[in-house]
Amino acid sequence: MKKILFDRIDEPGLNTLAVYERRGGYGALRKALKLTREQVLDELLTSGIRGRGGAGFQMGRKISFLPKGDMDKYLVCNADESEPGTFKDRELMQKSPHMLIEGIIIAAYAGGIDRSFIYIRGEYDYQADILEAAIEEARAAGYIGERILGSEHSLSLVLHRGAGAYICGEETGLLDSLEGKRGNPRLKPPFPAVEGLYDSPTLINNVETLSTVPHIIRMGGDEYAKIGTETSTGTKLVSVSGDVKRPGNYEVELGIPSREIIYGLAGGPFDGRKIKLWFPGGSSAPVLTADDLDVPYDFDSMAKAGSMLGSGAIIVVDDSHTVLEVATKLAKFYAHESCGKCVPCREGTNWTVKMLARIDSGEATPMDLDIMASVQTQIIGNCLCVLGDAMAMPIGSMIEKYRPELEAHIEAARERAGSGALGDVVPLGVADEHAGPMPVH
Amino acid sequence: MSPLRPRRAAAAVAPPAPEPADWETPELAPVPRFGHGSRVPGWDEAVDLTKDPAVVPDPATTPVPEELRRTIEAAMARYPDPHSASIPALHAAQGVHGWCSPEAIEQVAAVMRVTPAYLTSVATFYDMLVTRPKGPHDVFVCTNISCSLRGADALYEAMLVAAEEDDDITVRSFECLGACDIAPMASVDGSYVGPLETADAKRIVEDLQAGRAVLEDKQLRRRPSADPGARGE
Amino acid sequence: MPRPEPKIIQLTIDGREVRAPEGEMLVEAARLGDIEIPYFCFERKLGKPVGACRMCLVEIEGIPKLQTSCSTPVKDGMVVHTQTQRVRGAQNAIVEFLLVNHPLDCPVCDKGGECPLQDITFGWGAGRSRFIEPKRHFVKPLALSPLVAIDRERCILCYRCVRFSQEIAEDYQLIFAERGADTFVATHDGHPYVAPFSGNIIELCPVGALTSQPYRFRARPWDNEAGGGVCTLCPAQCNVSFTVRDEKVMRVLAREHPEVDDGWLCDKGRFAYQAIHVDERITAPMVREAGELRPASWERALEVATGLAGHRGRVGALVGGGASNEEGYQLTRLVREGLTSGDIDSRAAGPVPPALARAAAAPPLQATVPDLEFAHTVLVVGCEPQEDAPILDLRIRKGVRRHGVKLAVATARPSALDPNAKLTVRLDPGGETAFLAGLADELGGDGGGELARLLRDGGQDVVIVWGERIGADALPHLLRVADLLGLGARDGAGLLEIPASANGRGLREAGVLPDAGPGYSSLPAELEGRAAAEMAAAAAEGKVTAFYLFETDPVRDLPDRPRWERALEAASLVVSHASVLTEGIREHADVVFPAESYAEKEGTVVHPDGRLQRLRIAIAQPDDVRAGWWVIGELGRRIGHDLDVATAPAAFAQLVAAVPFYAGLTLEELGGRGLRWPARAEASAFPAPASPPAAPSAPAPATAPPPGPVAEDEPAAAVPPPGPVAGPVSEGARAAASTRAPGGAPAPERAPASARGAPADGAFRLGIHRPLWASPTVEISPALKFAIARQHAELSPADAQRLGLTTGETVEVASNGTAVKATVAVHSGIPAGTVFLADGLAEDSANVFTVSEVEVRKP
Repeated sequence: MKKILFDRIDEPGLNTLAVYERRGGYGALRKALKLTREQVLDELLTSGIRGRGGAGFQMGRKISFLPKGDMDKYLVCNADESEPGTFKDRELMQKSPHMLIEGIIIAAYAGGIDRSFIYIRGEYDYQADILEAAIEEARAAGYIGERILGSEHSLSLVLHRGAGAYICGEETGLLDSLEGKRGNPRLKPPFPAVEGLYDSPTLINNVETLSTVPHIIRMGGDEYAKIGTETSTGTKLVSVSGDVKRPGNYEVELGIPSREIIYGLAGGPFDGRKIKLWFPGGSSAPVLTADDLDVPYDFDSMAKAGSMLGSGAIIVVDDSHTVLEVATKLAKFYAHESCGKCVPCREGTNWTVKMLARIDSGEATPMDLDIMASVQTQIIGNCLCVLGDAMAMPIGSMIEKYRPELEAHIEAARERAGSGALGDVVPLGVADEHAGPMPVH
Repeated sequence: MSPLRPRRAAAAVAPPAPEPADWETPELAPVPRFGHGSRVPGWDEAVDLTKDPAVVPDPATTPVPEELRRTIEAAMARYPDPHSASIPALHAAQGVHGWCSPEAIEQVAAVMRVTPAYLTSVATFYDMLVTRPKGPHDVFVCTNISCSLRGADALYEAMLVAAEEDDDITVRSFECLGACDIAPMASVDGSYVGPLETADAKRIVEDLQAGRAVLEDKQLRRRPSADPGARGE
Repeated sequence: MPRPEPKIIQLTIDGREVRAPEGEMLVEAARLGDIEIPYFCFERKLGKPVGACRMCLVEIEGIPKLQTSCSTPVKDGMVVHTQTQRVRGAQNAIVEFLLVNHPLDCPVCDKGGECPLQDITFGWGAGRSRFIEPKRHFVKPLALSPLVAIDRERCILCYRCVRFSQEIAEDYQLIFAERGADTFVATHDGHPYVAPFSGNIIELCPVGALTSQPYRFRARPWDNEAGGGVCTLCPAQCNVSFTVRDEKVMRVLAREHPEVDDGWLCDKGRFAYQAIHVDERITAPMVREAGELRPASWERALEVATGLAGHRGRVGALVGGGASNEEGYQLTRLVREGLTSGDIDSRAAGPVPPALARAAAAPPLQATVPDLEFAHTVLVVGCEPQEDAPILDLRIRKGVRRHGVKLAVATARPSALDPNAKLTVRLDPGGETAFLAGLADELGGDGGGELARLLRDGGQDVVIVWGERIGADALPHLLRVADLLGLGARDGAGLLEIPASANGRGLREAGVLPDAGPGYSSLPAELEGRAAAEMAAAAAEGKVTAFYLFETDPVRDLPDRPRWERALEAASLVVSHASVLTEGIREHADVVFPAESYAEKEGTVVHPDGRLQRLRIAIAQPDDVRAGWWVIGELGRRIGHDLDVATAPAAFAQLVAAVPFYAGLTLEELGGRGLRWPARAEASAFPAPASPPAAPSAPAPATAPPPGPVAEDEPAAAVPPPGPVAGPVSEGARAAASTRAPGGAPAPERAPASARGAPADGAFRLGIHRPLWASPTVEISPALKFAIARQHAELSPADAQRLGLTTGETVEVASNGTAVKATVAVHSGIPAGTVFLADGLAEDSANVFTVSEVEVRKP
């Protein structure tokens, strides 16, 4: 497959304007500026490209939701890559920052936007320095600023460094953070396209999505749409990590079998190990089993398989690890990163952590798995943003798919702790009938 | 909920300006942290009724180091709404004071014309802004899923042991740092190194103490892409 | 600014058809259809919803996910379900989640019995919890401030208190710290949450996390009764609900009135009720015997007070702002008819010629409180709303924040509203006259400075909030500004005066003025008398030999304390109604009648925007306190002039009969919400200057008018008439106004403080303000001891540096041998060459000074 984003991305000096331009960089911008805004938007719509950040919403449609007219409008590039298992944007920004900048300028043109920001996570210090230098170069070369390349299009671009909070990857949490507040997600509606940064219409896109934009303009939307499947067009960067031989970022055509990525590109599990479970789209995606390895890697197939493509991060867990270990890690992560604004997420993630700890300490019964599963359903759909769901979906899927293992874990832990055999334990529900309305601690 | 595993005392860093009375204890209190590394907040703390309310600090009575003031003002100028500069401003103040001390926060507040409370609420939200004393060197060990599958928890323990004697190094377990390709990994003063073995913990400490670049051979920035296409193959 | 006029739409909730204004949030619209949707974080008063608690999730047809009804505006034809299995499941889930960490210590919780979490758990919870781990335990309760205790175990992080601090009071002292389940309500670095409106968070808290220190464990909801009343501790006259247990006020809650207080209270209003039930309060008559005030029988006290009859024609009466309209009116009758003296005054800020007073109070010119919220531009002149009528400060902030009102502030002392203002003009102390004269001149011309352009071009609805203390000299210019802006012609525009005392407006309307009768009517020359300051002067000359002080102590409340001390000393009889023995009363009163508190009083008062409000009896008078109207009536009988008042309603009827523009008002009509008389048809009976006006030929008085009769028509000519048909102001008048301005041209633009320079020889201009907390009521309220105002000398950084002073040092501010001690407070906003001192204090008050220049020195 011909690489698009990763095409010779290791070329030394690609992060400088000179090399990028020598390879034809900013050619797409020149081409776009000769078209009208509507024509550029049309190309993006035709390309069918879906957001690479997690939600998979069509980028062109997102732009078309921006109100027309003479008002402050913003473009914010979401470079707060923090979904566990995801590291593709990091490599893009580090190695080809001008590709992102060019994409931002073109997307802003399509949306009639003249102010833009890159919100990069604070931990990406090195990448931020590279981007900052690249922005300076681009500004000096006239790609950013007033009347770009003599056109009517003007754009400012400011790099904003975050300070370490997963929730700022959520687009409205990111906006609050960019406004200098705590990164709490906002109520939607109103959606950012209507009321976003500084209450103005705002287009928010992921690094990978925006980096693809110059290529779409260069190739033409039609040509781009030919890659991938009908509803998942183009190529996708996949971050493969965990128990595989060759972890790393791989650019693949959407729709190829997942097995080809995990085994073909990433080398498969270590010798003598078997894949127990894998996350197809970051840690927020419901887990899939070894039986699902042939599911095509695209948005719709993953959804049909009961999971999601998410950020395109495959995390592979082999049979040397227990499900409980993975679940506990995840639950603690989400509890730590919950912003605390809404009740189901704040309390639900912490409750789940406590219940998982109970399993390992030998105090649990299989009934606790039912309660835990029920708590996950109580979280899903009831939260302000998707962080709660992001824990509840994978945890729920693990309880559903690996119940026998978890039950065995409970038994073993009870034995270890001397909590007594399960047969002696009165089922919780029965005891409750007589226990009064609410236990008091 | 009590701290699951209160850890070692954080390093003492003397801020350049004289410390206010509240902070004059040379033995800084240990930073209570949960097992996963986050701070234990001050739920059990009452206010000090002898203090005045913390209103917007008056520039006339809140001196700010000139360079810090300029940095903050420059940050404020970058945004349509100067409030957006709170994170860069706090980050700069943390650089000057070693941590987001009450004094550092009050200085930022004086320049930004906001209440210190506004900045405290921001500073305590983000993991990289630290509102308790810490050492000048930060080692963030990623202990999230991908790294932990490859031994990050043992690495973190080793790192704690290796840095135990050195108050200048603050070791924290951190959520996914976005470098699972070099798992298990750590961010040492902002530069990513990996894949690490437990033996690397000692080397990291030695490199920091010697003031040289950390684990030259394991720096992420030198690592080529895993994708063969990246090399034009 | 046009106010939203909502369209009424129809939607279906649980099969019921509900009519509601379009755009109303679903949770509120449901209530209109008698359907209750539970919630914690939602509170209409707090503005935009946050959707944090998730308790109000409902099912809306056509939307796949459950929606928070607090954030969903209703649309025509919407079909909503609040009772389905799915919704119930979500509600049960949220209650279960909330109780994961909320302690079930309801039996010892102050909120128990009036707790939304209790009620919602009962009504919408599953009735059981599956959470069996230990709950979190923290040290509790902890002090959040001297007034508020915090219990972090109980906190459900609903955002209400922090939103109040951040978006309503805008003090931004209360925050959430940390993240996720670690989040807690905090302040910066352990500073207490002390701010003028902090107590509102107690009322907002939907659980027992924030409790009132003074109320904690004093009562249970089922022990309590509620009594509706009006707070008369300041002119804002917020509507309150007294929580009463066994005839004692236990606490004060807001009784939300959108056109008065918006449901908020300041901390003085919320906590100074304590002064009702303390030993320091006077609850029985006292008579001076052998040089000391001693408790006496009513008979004895009345007998001594009847001695006023021996001073006929030489009695001076001062009426404080706590007096009701009825008390004020009865006093005018007692003094004018019974004691044949014209010397009665209620103005604490100096006299205003009747014609000017009438012009400023004319009904078409009166802005309302909600006007502040919807005006295009609000100009604040010569007052500090946060100190003078705190709740108006919140209303102005609300207008700026939610409706984009453009705010301009023109004050001498930096205002709490400065950060919200589009334009700030720093005046010299007492510079309001010059400022307004200059502004009027600019508005009269075509150009003008920034402020003139803002007022003229920023939209027609301009509201000018002005303080009575700007003085009579400034009024003609203010009226000219109002006229040039056409404020009388528009409904949403006008003037809003903050009187210098709580019921200042009502007392004037009742005729408690030396130069006007009820309803600003003209007095026959023989009934005209002296204004307060002149009474003091007359006392020194023996022309006033007795004083009747009704709920005021001139030594404390009026300018020129030394003169008042001499005047009271010289008087041979001083009769007073007081609740606290302030210095003037303690040293000089011969008789003290115990004054009623505002929770005991029956009568009416008038809000600054003309709203008559009822004071109703919430508690019985303690001990030997008797009604003010009764005491005045009894004195009348004893001096042989029966005022014919047997009940408080009868006193009201007399008042209504006497004030033409109150004609026909009944207490029933006033009800619990009051009524703005300027909006009634009878307002036409207001004695406005006849239209068309005579061309202004005489300059407005440059100084206070001479005592004695002033013919009604003379100054009226100088006053531009209110209303749309105002004629142009003559060139002559304008010239007169501007040349009269001291110091030449005023500075309507933001002028650098240094440009004006300091008075010669290092002297300081003296600026005076009245802190919110400067009042005897606050001093005797145990919970407010921490807040008692002390004297601060507010200096500019430049002056402080020049004198080698830093914040916290003690200095003397002195002039001609008079000095007060003060603590230095350096503020960047203070113009160089000016020192600000507080007035109204028990000690070291600024009213010892009679000059405008002082020196500041180390003691």
